[in-house]
Amino acid sequence: MPLTGLQIFKLLPNTNCRKCGYATCLAFAMKLAAGREALEKCPDASEEARAALGAASSPPIRGVTVGRGPRAITVGEETVFFRHEKTFVRRPGLFALLDAKGLSAAELDARLDQWRDTRIERAGETFQIDGVAVAEVPGSPEVGVKAAVAAAERGLPVAVLAATAEGAAAMAEKIKDQRPLLAPPAHAPDGLYANLAARLAIPLVVSARDLPGLAAAAVAAAHAGVADILLEPPGADLRALHHSLTAIRRGALDRIHPGLGHPVFLRVGAGEFEKAVLGIAKFASLLVLPGYGGENWLPLWTLRQNIYTDPQKPLQVQPGLYSIGEPHAGSPLLVTSNFSLTYFMVATEVEATGLACHLAVVDAEGLSVLTAWSAGKFSGERVAKNLRQMEAAARVKHRTVIIPGYVSVISGELEDALGEGWRVLVGPQEASDLAPFFKDVWSAIGAG
Amino acid sequence: MALELKPKKWPGTIRTVTLGGGRRRTLAVGGGNALPLHAFEGSFPHRPLLALEITDTAPGRWPAAATEPWQGVLGQPAAAARRAVEGYGADLVMLHLAGTHPDRGNRSPDDAVADVRAVLDAVPVPLIVRGPGAGRKQNDVLARVAEACGGEGLVLHSACQEDYRTLAAVAVAYGHVLVAESPIDMNIAKQLNILLADASVDLNRVLIDPLTGGLGYGLEYTYSVMQRIRLAALGGDPMLNAPVVCLAGEEAWKAKEAAVPRDKEPLWGDERTRGINWEVATALPLVEAGAEIVVLRHPEALARLRRQLDGWFAETNRGVA
Repeated sequence: MPLTGLQIFKLLPNTNCRKCGYATCLAFAMKLAAGREALEKCPDASEEARAALGAASSPPIRGVTVGRGPRAITVGEETVFFRHEKTFVRRPGLFALLDAKGLSAAELDARLDQWRDTRIERAGETFQIDGVAVAEVPGSPEVGVKAAVAAAERGLPVAVLAATAEGAAAMAEKIKDQRPLLAPPAHAPDGLYANLAARLAIPLVVSARDLPGLAAAAVAAAHAGVADILLEPPGADLRALHHSLTAIRRGALDRIHPGLGHPVFLRVGAGEFEKAVLGIAKFASLLVLPGYGGENWLPLWTLRQNIYTDPQKPLQVQPGLYSIGEPHAGSPLLVTSNFSLTYFMVATEVEATGLACHLAVVDAEGLSVLTAWSAGKFSGERVAKNLRQMEAAARVKHRTVIIPGYVSVISGELEDALGEGWRVLVGPQEASDLAPFFKDVWSAIGAG
Repeated sequence: MALELKPKKWPGTIRTVTLGGGRRRTLAVGGGNALPLHAFEGSFPHRPLLALEITDTAPGRWPAAATEPWQGVLGQPAAAARRAVEGYGADLVMLHLAGTHPDRGNRSPDDAVADVRAVLDAVPVPLIVRGPGAGRKQNDVLARVAEACGGEGLVLHSACQEDYRTLAAVAVAYGHVLVAESPIDMNIAKQLNILLADASVDLNRVLIDPLTGGLGYGLEYTYSVMQRIRLAALGGDPMLNAPVVCLAGEEAWKAKEAAVPRDKEPLWGDERTRGINWEVATALPLVEAGAEIVVLRHPEALARLRRQLDGWFAETNRGVA
């Protein structure tokens, strides 16, 4: 449980010496309690104070790293229940399930190459398959071993989905230097897999039929020498799973049991898309997804992007001249702000009109059009400067620029700032009205 | 070490709002006294409702996957409503009077009344009526509908902070439920409910629409603002404890990711499944953040959400059956 300011104050020397930069020990204690200062700033703090504060300030959920090298992924280290309280920090790892049974060597290579090379850029993030969950093939342990080695050789983090302790050992041993995650079958006997994970110094998934059992299993694994643990929550349906996920996060943040302070591991079966959606929104840290195509990956990647965006920062798009469709020198030139919500809205609506456009995204410091204008970030001068910087004039033969209806007041100033020959056209207030605007106004002026 | 999980209790309860009435079937929403879906520590007398959206005129911009379930009834509200309720199992229907927009057909308030009446005659469930959007036409259309359909307990979508008086007045006069829409802003949501209360609207006849950002297009803003609204409501704020309605289908199917065909973006996979997934991945987080009514477009998205919610609210369902 985090300490309160008063509890911390009692641990400080109470000399008000100001060496920490604060007038009183109490003021410093309050900052410590809020997590805005470090105890190191107090040169006279006792060992007792350091120990007490150190324990209280250790992260409520430990970080766990799977894999090695550039694609290694660290999950956990979350500090809040609601993203708006601060932010969620570690995007959950989305692993693809690989059942190598019946695959030829060439097919295996092709699939792993494709997974390694899959990249989708979206709103400043690169979506990738974060790792491969290799299932043990019962009766043919060498198949799983080959697949695990092949995945690890490609630099992909590996989760070993074990069916037997022998199979698990065979797979994990071969790639132990790549820090694979060991996931035993559900409700495997305590100890068996923990000893293996401890010996190989790799992370381990623990599971149980209920939450007290799960917390106890995590403590037992730690005692067996496993340093990095993931919790597989019980839950036969979404409702039970949601209860587990919620209780684990709440219990970890409230520090009610040392066995709950670990990231969460979730297996998603075929036809369980909703489980993946819930898991991403609600605290799962590493998910194994079944043989999914892009129609499943893309929405899940996008949901993760949304949920793990830092709510404290306004989402910005890189300012610049964007092409919607394949615009030519006669296509309309539109201006908007670089607040991503605004940009997405305008881009989507423009796309829906079917008319290719040049979209000039002005540096408005991530504010929406109207807010930016009130803050002086969407003035005629500023818009003109941006248009010059992005060399908009070279991209269109007409000299007409369309501005959002909400800032019609800047049209005169913008016309002056752009100079001879330019004309400012006031567009609709809402991007959703662009279609009739193009139809009635743009086509009528014949600028294109 | 024993594991002790204490249930979290809250001072506040979400208001219960009853839709429909008179000769129409009634449905109640709200009434929960814990965080959304926290069935393990609170009571939820009503499960979230799933609505399907139908339109007065053939929709211009729905992707093929979204129009396919409506083949043969596009732009025929009565037939579409029957299909939504009898064929697809929607709890209720939202009729979007998009064709009354001055730029999208400019149909008259009388046309709108005729469409609403046709739907009311076709199906016995409560009806959400969505106007053409903010502006004078919104009031003209919805006020006429409200007047002509008194006693049906319609849900009028929607009034906003800048323009709420007309719709507040007709909602009170003719016994309808009013949706108060705010632009992803908790303070405005609260302010608008205060204004509505001052205008003599019974807040047990009000729903909040926090404005939905679709998946990839601001979903996280709506998600967090809804969580904050719900925390305030459960904390006891009587101006924020209205049930919430989200237009998830409309926002999901607007996304280019829900529409672009596979041959243009091979990595994105099959566009039909992708579109339905887009709708599910928009709607489910919203339910989890507190939506009591979710308006959808695709019956498969509805069926998939229904499967999950039926399990979740099994006791509730038994209670009302």
